[in-house]
Amino acid sequence: MRVARSEGVERQPHAVDVFAADAAVGADLARVDWAATSLGEPAEWPQSLRTAVSILLSSRFSMWLAWGPDLTFFCNDAYRRDTLGRKYPWALGRPASEVWQEIWGDIGPRIDRVLSTGKATWDEGLLLFLRRSGYPEETYHTFSYSPLHDESGAVVGMLCVVSEDTERVISQRRLATLRELGSDPSVIRAEPEALAFSCRQLADNPRDLPFTLTYLFDGDETRLAGSSGISPDHPAARYTWPLGGETVVVPLDDLPGLPTGAWPEPPEQALVVPLLQQGQQPFGVLVAGLNRYRPVDDGYRGFVELVAGHIAAGISGARSYESQQRRAEELAELDRAKTAFFSNVSHEFRTPLTLIMGPLADLRARLSDDDERVREDLDVIQRNSLRLNKLVTTLLDFSRIESGRMQARYAPVELAGATAELASMFRSAVERAGLAFHVDCPPLDEAVRVDRGLWEKVVLNLLSNALKFTFDGSIGVTVRREGGRAVVTISDTGVGVPAEEMGRLFERFHRIENTRSRSNEGSGIGLALVRELVELHGGTISAESTEGEGTRFTIRLPFGSDHVPDDALTPAAATPNPYVQEALRWLPSGEGGAPIERPTAARVLVADDNADMREYVTRLLSDAGYRVDAVEDGRAALDAIRESAPDLVISDVMMPRLDGLALVAALRADARTASLPVLLLSARAGQEASIEGLQAGADDYLVKPFSAAELLARVRSSVEMTRLRTHHARWRAALIDSLQEAFFLCDADGTVIEINSAFTDILGYGQDGLPYRPVHPWWPDAETDPAGHRRVAEAFAALLDRRQGSYTIPAVHRDGHRLWINVTSNHVHDPDNGRSVTVGTFRDVTAEHHAIQRDSALASVSTHLAQATTMADALAGALADLHGIWRADSATAVLFDAPDSPSIWSTGPASTWHQLPVEQRDKLTELREHPLLTPHIGASGAGVRLDHPDGPLNLWIELGPHRPFTGADQLLLSLLAGHIAQGLLRAHQIDQQRETAIALQRAILGPSHLPEGFAVRYEPATRPLEVGGDWYETVALPGDQIGIVVGDCVGRGLKAAAVMGQLRSACRALLLQDPNPARALMALDQFAAALPDAACTTVFCGVLDPATGRLTYSSAGHPPGIVVSPDGGTHLLEGGRSLPLAVRSEIERPEEEFVLPPRSTLLVYTDGLVERRRHPLSEGIDHAAAVLQRSRDSTVDDLATRVMDGLAPAGGYDDDVALLLYRHPGPLDIAFPATAAQLPVVRGALRGWLAQCAVPSETAQSILVAAGEACANAVEHGHRDRPGATVRLRAEASVDAIRLAVTDSGQWRSPRPKDNPHRGHGTPLMRALMDEVTITPGPTGTRVDLQTRIA
Amino acid sequence: MTFPLTLTTGRRPDGSALLTLAGEIDMSNAETLAGALRDNPGQVTVDLTAVEYLDSAGLAVLFANAARVELVVSDLLTPVLAVSGLADVTTVHVR
Repeated sequence: MRVARSEGVERQPHAVDVFAADAAVGADLARVDWAATSLGEPAEWPQSLRTAVSILLSSRFSMWLAWGPDLTFFCNDAYRRDTLGRKYPWALGRPASEVWQEIWGDIGPRIDRVLSTGKATWDEGLLLFLRRSGYPEETYHTFSYSPLHDESGAVVGMLCVVSEDTERVISQRRLATLRELGSDPSVIRAEPEALAFSCRQLADNPRDLPFTLTYLFDGDETRLAGSSGISPDHPAARYTWPLGGETVVVPLDDLPGLPTGAWPEPPEQALVVPLLQQGQQPFGVLVAGLNRYRPVDDGYRGFVELVAGHIAAGISGARSYESQQRRAEELAELDRAKTAFFSNVSHEFRTPLTLIMGPLADLRARLSDDDERVREDLDVIQRNSLRLNKLVTTLLDFSRIESGRMQARYAPVELAGATAELASMFRSAVERAGLAFHVDCPPLDEAVRVDRGLWEKVVLNLLSNALKFTFDGSIGVTVRREGGRAVVTISDTGVGVPAEEMGRLFERFHRIENTRSRSNEGSGIGLALVRELVELHGGTISAESTEGEGTRFTIRLPFGSDHVPDDALTPAAATPNPYVQEALRWLPSGEGGAPIERPTAARVLVADDNADMREYVTRLLSDAGYRVDAVEDGRAALDAIRESAPDLVISDVMMPRLDGLALVAALRADARTASLPVLLLSARAGQEASIEGLQAGADDYLVKPFSAAELLARVRSSVEMTRLRTHHARWRAALIDSLQEAFFLCDADGTVIEINSAFTDILGYGQDGLPYRPVHPWWPDAETDPAGHRRVAEAFAALLDRRQGSYTIPAVHRDGHRLWINVTSNHVHDPDNGRSVTVGTFRDVTAEHHAIQRDSALASVSTHLAQATTMADALAGALADLHGIWRADSATAVLFDAPDSPSIWSTGPASTWHQLPVEQRDKLTELREHPLLTPHIGASGAGVRLDHPDGPLNLWIELGPHRPFTGADQLLLSLLAGHIAQGLLRAHQIDQQRETAIALQRAILGPSHLPEGFAVRYEPATRPLEVGGDWYETVALPGDQIGIVVGDCVGRGLKAAAVMGQLRSACRALLLQDPNPARALMALDQFAAALPDAACTTVFCGVLDPATGRLTYSSAGHPPGIVVSPDGGTHLLEGGRSLPLAVRSEIERPEEEFVLPPRSTLLVYTDGLVERRRHPLSEGIDHAAAVLQRSRDSTVDDLATRVMDGLAPAGGYDDDVALLLYRHPGPLDIAFPATAAQLPVVRGALRGWLAQCAVPSETAQSILVAAGEACANAVEHGHRDRPGATVRLRAEASVDAIRLAVTDSGQWRSPRPKDNPHRGHGTPLMRALMDEVTITPGPTGTRVDLQTRIA
Repeated sequence: MTFPLTLTTGRRPDGSALLTLAGEIDMSNAETLAGALRDNPGQVTVDLTAVEYLDSAGLAVLFANAARVELVVSDLLTPVLAVSGLADVTTVHVR
């Protein structure tokens, strides 16, 4: 055999429909006109294709495959859904190059490489322009191409397992642009610089933003302020874009010559996005040319809008910087005016008061350790200063009212609710005082026009009064409708007012003397102010009191709006924030006239167990534009904060479950909330209480009751501070959250304290579960997956230990599914606390991990299957591979061929069915119910059923308990099972072919009679162990001639053997008909021309006259025969050469003659004997000649063995070999009747043979005598009593020795010299004449061996 | 088939007997030589120059008459006569 060719494949019909694995895609595949494709009808498909298609269809992973000369396309449902788009079902059954015509330039070379090398490819995130949605689409794919083999092992197709990365790649790219836009290192910029910076960043992303134009509105003008990817002089810059203030898509059909960005073609559409600013007309618009290879979906729009947002923020920053500078100058001017105002109106009070309180504070600090009396005096001074200060403030109110500067804003208010909320601020104080607090305020059916701020003063003043003068009993608040008015009463069970004082109760500065009260503070102005305020609302206030029983104040307010000035009326809807308006006017910093700046949706969390209080604060803040969440206690607050951190926490101190101080402590202890601002509310006045609160870590402290204005002022300053402080943190958080990769932050002991949403997406664990302490819940379980657990533990330890690292480790999703992640980590120092933290990111590499694992496993199994030369080897190798891939306890295959003792193969200890554990026997038995190639999962392993030439084979992989077997494992197992089935089939066919071929070859070459002097050998190639088309032949021809033929057909296997048989028979017949080598070969030319696959056969054909050694020969392209003479000379039979058989018609073949010298050796062989890769043929021939030389004393049969052994390469012959040896002359072999009369005849024959051997006459005479003695002995002793029995003489020449053997069938009697005294000379004579004499008596006869060297 | 052995009896000039043999001597025809020697008592010259083969059967006949025979042989037979020891006990003339 010389040239390998692919063999024909026997096709097996299959009971199961090849498309059955998927109903939908299968049905479409079944509709394909397969007869019109190069694959033909499915019924004709080879098993390998069927296997591949059923694996494809049964997989949940997105895959396609191509098979056959046209690379016919198949795909599964996942691929149809993810990738194929509109090409389905058109694509099925078409050549892959047609299906993916648009990307064939990219993928074609990869597929060629797979087909030509048989090696898999791996590409990550490859850009491909798919035309699956009607336009060329920018898409990214991670995929592997693996080769698919047919039954002969040839690569005939490829399988692609693919996952699409388009979203990931594009979002990362867009995110990078957003990140760059936000990374402006300089804090303050002028507007042109800010725009130039933005445009530079946009120009770096020519894929998503081929070009951009930024326009700004300047009054009625619109000017181009920046551009990227396009010249400002381009006609597009002067195009009239729609400037309606909304995002619109504009077709670009009428704008030729646009820049193309990173793409071959220019944008087809642009997105015009306004550059919005808070509450005002947009700054301008951003025009973004759009990537025509991506759909304009929400993601793309959102990206451009975010870009516009960044640009707007840049402009806003630049402008506010400019306006701040202007405002600073204006404020200075305002300050001067304010100073003048105070000096005019209240410096009479304020200035001296300030001059008292300042030095007083110093004095108290300095004298704190001195005489207690001095301290007490100072305290008195301070209390009264404060009192005076309060008075001044109240006076200012009066002053405002009287001067008409009290700018009340009357809005419809649900008075009962508003009053109840105000009252709620007193609840804790009232209850602390040991009083009952009855608030009875059912809603009124009509609104009352009030100024909320002024109403707050009214209610708080009256309640404060009630508390002050009540020592036991209760305080009550009611709101009712009575007589067309809203009636509010505030009553107490206090000391009461003496009847004589009642008339002066509401007078300014009138104080009721000698009354017991909680405080001796009081200006006597409070009730006067209350009356003024009530009257401002068109209402009245009255009081009734019984000394020692209590006091009741009754306020009556009219409904409707007749009682208030028109210009002060405010419709409810137009001013949703009346509290804020009012409160801001009351702020002490003199900003009353400033426009209201609505805080932009800062989030405030309110924690208070009192529902009224909670609602009041919530309403107050909501109306002020805050987003407010309210909870009932500290525990709920903590949960809500961990779920999503607000900008500010307002908490009551006294709460059940977790109080305010404990809440602050908990927040401060957690790194994620350590800097969250907290404002504590408390009923406990005094420095101590506030110190306690501030020590606990609260940022601010407010004592109840407090005014709405006070609260809003505190909240606003806190939020603003927080915003400044957290601006970068928020930006960072937003960035982290928008990362496609999962992000986490670990503290020094490995506790995960921060994660992003991708983390939750990948592992299923959310922020609500933070912190996650090691061992983290996503680690593989130590019990059930110790290897995985150990692997993660090691990686995690390294992650905390080393500065940087990257690890691929298994993880378990919260829902239990197993995945692989690639973690990259880095150590950084937390600038806030100096601690070392670990920052890590990871991504889900499950698909990648499995693809690599799958490819290497498939490659390994394929290699082993391809190398296996028998089916048993193939199965053993495959089981060992399965064992290794899953690190299994054992892998076992069972063939239910015999009911009681099925055949088993196992990597475990069992060697019979009954040695298998019962559980495995059950699983394997159960598997018989399952369809082929569909993995079946059990508690301790997984199994699959596959085609085996002797019936379905059941495979079981025993993993041990609790080992997960994931979807990817199942896919791999079914792919492997397909490979193994195919490999077994191939090995089986090889087995069968080899057995048949060897049987045939042996039958043809077989033990036919060889003439004397010849030895032959045939050896099939070792790997793959296959027979070929080599043959040898000897033909006994008329005239005692012998035909010698050695030939070599092209190809191997059964087919070559069959061709060889026909050529051999033909050649034999031709020689018998006409014993002429050249003519025989010319006739064989014609025969071969008509015989398929016979052309190119090489033949050596010779006719030998054994008597003379004359050899006539002709060679049809065959390697030259070798003749080695006794003197060591080598002669190559190089004459008579012509072309191999049937290469050219009608050629005249030459013939050559050579006379074999006596005792020379002729070797004719096929090229497998001497041909070695990278060595010249002559080297092999010389080698063969040398072996012949070395073995000169061997018999011809031993010589054949020595030649075969001596020339075999280290791993055995890789091609088959036929050889034929002849030593001239052939041995002499005579059988004769045991009579003395035969002896001269035998001698005559021996003498003639010795002459042929050219033995010198003296030696010949010795041989004749010695042989004669042996024969005489046989006649005389062996057959004395049985004359006529057969005696046999055999003589054989080696290069320099003659061996003879004389065998009889009788028993020699010991010589009896008495009978014949002369006979005693025979044996000594033999010994004297020969070098060696051996007489071997035996039960069936005696053999005499003689040997002598030829001098 | 028996290979021809020819035996010619003659007289030497001194009157002694001369047996001239041609062909091969083996167990099948050694008796021919033995008979001829019996027929010619006294000194006998045995000319084996034309004998191509002589084995132990012939040698045995010659050994038995060693004391009264002289042999004339060609080179062909000398090794056999030498190794058998006959040359030591009788007179051998090599031609």
